[in-house]
Amino acid sequence: MSSTLSRRALLGAGLGGGVLAPMLGGCASLMPAASGDETLVVHAQFAGAVAGADVYRRVVQRYREEFGAQIATLSNGSDLPIVFETSVLAGKEADIAIVNMVGKTLAWTEAGATVPVNPYLEEWGLADRITDGAVEEWTDEQGRVRAFPYTRTNWPVAFNHRILEEVGLEVPTTTEELYEAADRLRSAGYGPVAIGGSDWTGQKLFMQILQSFLTPEQAREVFASGRLGDSPGAAAGVEHFVELREAGVFVDNAQGFNSDSMLTQYTAGESAIMSSMSSALALVPDDRAAETTIGGWPVPASAVLDQPSVIQSFNGMGLWISENGSRKLDLVRPFIEYLFSEPVIGEFILESGRDMNAITETRSEDYPLVAQAQDVMASGTVDPVILPDLLIPDTAFEPLTAATAQAYGPGVGADQIIELVETAYRNV
Amino acid sequence: MTTTTAAPRRRRVPRTGRTGTYASGVLAWGYAALLLIPFYYFIISSFKDNEQIFTDPLGLPTSLSLDNFAEAISSADLDRAVINSILVTGCALVLTLLLAVPASFALARATGRAGRVIERVFALGFLIPTFAALFPTFLLAAATGLFHTRTFIIFLLPATAMPLAVVILTQFMRAVPRELEEAASMDGASPSMVLRHVYLPICIPGVATVVLLNFLSFWNEYLYSLIIIGPDPAQRTIQVALPTLKLTTGTDYGVLMAGTLFTLLPVYLVYTLLQRQMQRALLAGAVKG
Repeated sequence: MSSTLSRRALLGAGLGGGVLAPMLGGCASLMPAASGDETLVVHAQFAGAVAGADVYRRVVQRYREEFGAQIATLSNGSDLPIVFETSVLAGKEADIAIVNMVGKTLAWTEAGATVPVNPYLEEWGLADRITDGAVEEWTDEQGRVRAFPYTRTNWPVAFNHRILEEVGLEVPTTTEELYEAADRLRSAGYGPVAIGGSDWTGQKLFMQILQSFLTPEQAREVFASGRLGDSPGAAAGVEHFVELREAGVFVDNAQGFNSDSMLTQYTAGESAIMSSMSSALALVPDDRAAETTIGGWPVPASAVLDQPSVIQSFNGMGLWISENGSRKLDLVRPFIEYLFSEPVIGEFILESGRDMNAITETRSEDYPLVAQAQDVMASGTVDPVILPDLLIPDTAFEPLTAATAQAYGPGVGADQIIELVETAYRNV
Repeated sequence: MTTTTAAPRRRRVPRTGRTGTYASGVLAWGYAALLLIPFYYFIISSFKDNEQIFTDPLGLPTSLSLDNFAEAISSADLDRAVINSILVTGCALVLTLLLAVPASFALARATGRAGRVIERVFALGFLIPTFAALFPTFLLAAATGLFHTRTFIIFLLPATAMPLAVVILTQFMRAVPRELEEAASMDGASPSMVLRHVYLPICIPGVATVVLLNFLSFWNEYLYSLIIIGPDPAQRTIQVALPTLKLTTGTDYGVLMAGTLFTLLPVYLVYTLLQRQMQRALLAGAVKG
């Protein structure tokens, strides 16, 4: 009998310990902020393998040590917006969210999930610290600056000049030169333009090609409405896209590739040209970077642009202040000021190859292509075009990518592409 | 004196039967290859970089360096995430069994109409879609003050597992001969002793089946863990931590594969330990049928 009791006691203790202890531990509040007003809670997309995540972790740790600050760091990848939004509904959102301005986040200021930062720009001395273009891009229709713009990106074109020289050409700047490059590269066994036709990289290049025939105002209207058929410029852009595709400018089976296969085709030297955002250029290995020239997308003869185009955007991660954070400005302010300090900005540029919205003289020494992309933008040899992300309705984003993926497939005519794109918007 | 025994005559298999055997063998091996090739690809990719993965997808890696694993673990805090997943899964499994075993015991012994009704109510749980329950679950978590804690998920997961667990265990317990229970009762055993000393040992394959199926379900749970447990690296589970290795551009697939393989190890371990019991349970069902 005693042995039975003993077994029972042991079983009970085991189960009780196994179940109750972690439950009681789990009952403790997740966020230190909830247990005290002295802790700053920061929810960031600087997580996992994202460029700059290690720098961010180090910067936060240093801030803790230097100022004795209590900071709780939370992290998510692309799922941050939905997690933040549910936290808002429960009243447990972080004080600061560090996340891109795209899709769901565009509605945060309007919905009251985050507060406009207009009053703090001057007061905290950040108005002169952030480029004007960035502040403008982050301002909504009501004049509210949604967040402090932190990282940014350019979207230039990388040309492998060694391969181009091998086939007897220079970096193409016009469509005619691009056609010739495609022919010669294919003859020599190289892929011409690597692109992720099935994902957002293909969508971006498609929209960039359209912008060769659109003024910025027309482009805004077209990207917001999706009515390509009503715009002669957009229709001409689609025709031009089909001509490029039929001339073999894009690699074979481009409609099946994604951003990662695009980057790999370029870095492996299989393709000579790649349209890529600057944060991806930071991932190009040194030997390939040494034979790369940064430029713009070759301009067609009948374009509204005079020079090759580069997508320019000040959009990247911003520092958003939540409703909770607005009640803790004494903790929020020094942390944000610290993130914008010259040493920290320099650290992000030098050690992670990030493009930053802060005004700085620091250049990416170990990420030469990122620096080249900045120089090209400043050189006046390319024409900037807009990033459509802020104009495309959130719900049309994925259908639009599916539509442009089909556009990269063989045999799809201009009229069909226009119909596909307009359907993607109509189904919103 | 030697005795000679006639060799047993081998039964001739009809030609059509042999063709069928060969065909089914080829199909079985083909199917096994279909399963093994992705697994092979998955393992070798864990030791490669992107260039090797894309340019020579099925080739052997040039090195067996564990750098990808180290990178995955440090970048996404996978070690902490695995511990959290073990904690959440383990506690939820224990709670599931603590609730489902007595419930099934009672339902299996019930002879009245109420028992049948309650059993059907449990079965109705299969009809609730995961997404439909998300918002009310979120509201409940917020109202109870358990939002952004592992505690809520530890209570929630058994609730989602009860229909399957009760249905399986009830069927197993119905197969226990009544005579055994009567003999135990005559020896003075209480109902709880009958459950522990008579029913449970006989139903071990059923319990193992419930544990295995729910382990897989709890371990792989993503949506509720993402929303309810939230973004704290100290608390998030492996399924929430792992996607942070996937980037908008320039994903290091070697690191991602290594991280995924690392998170699958506990699954293989548990499956290896419990698969025999589960097969026994399935075979028992086949014999009964």
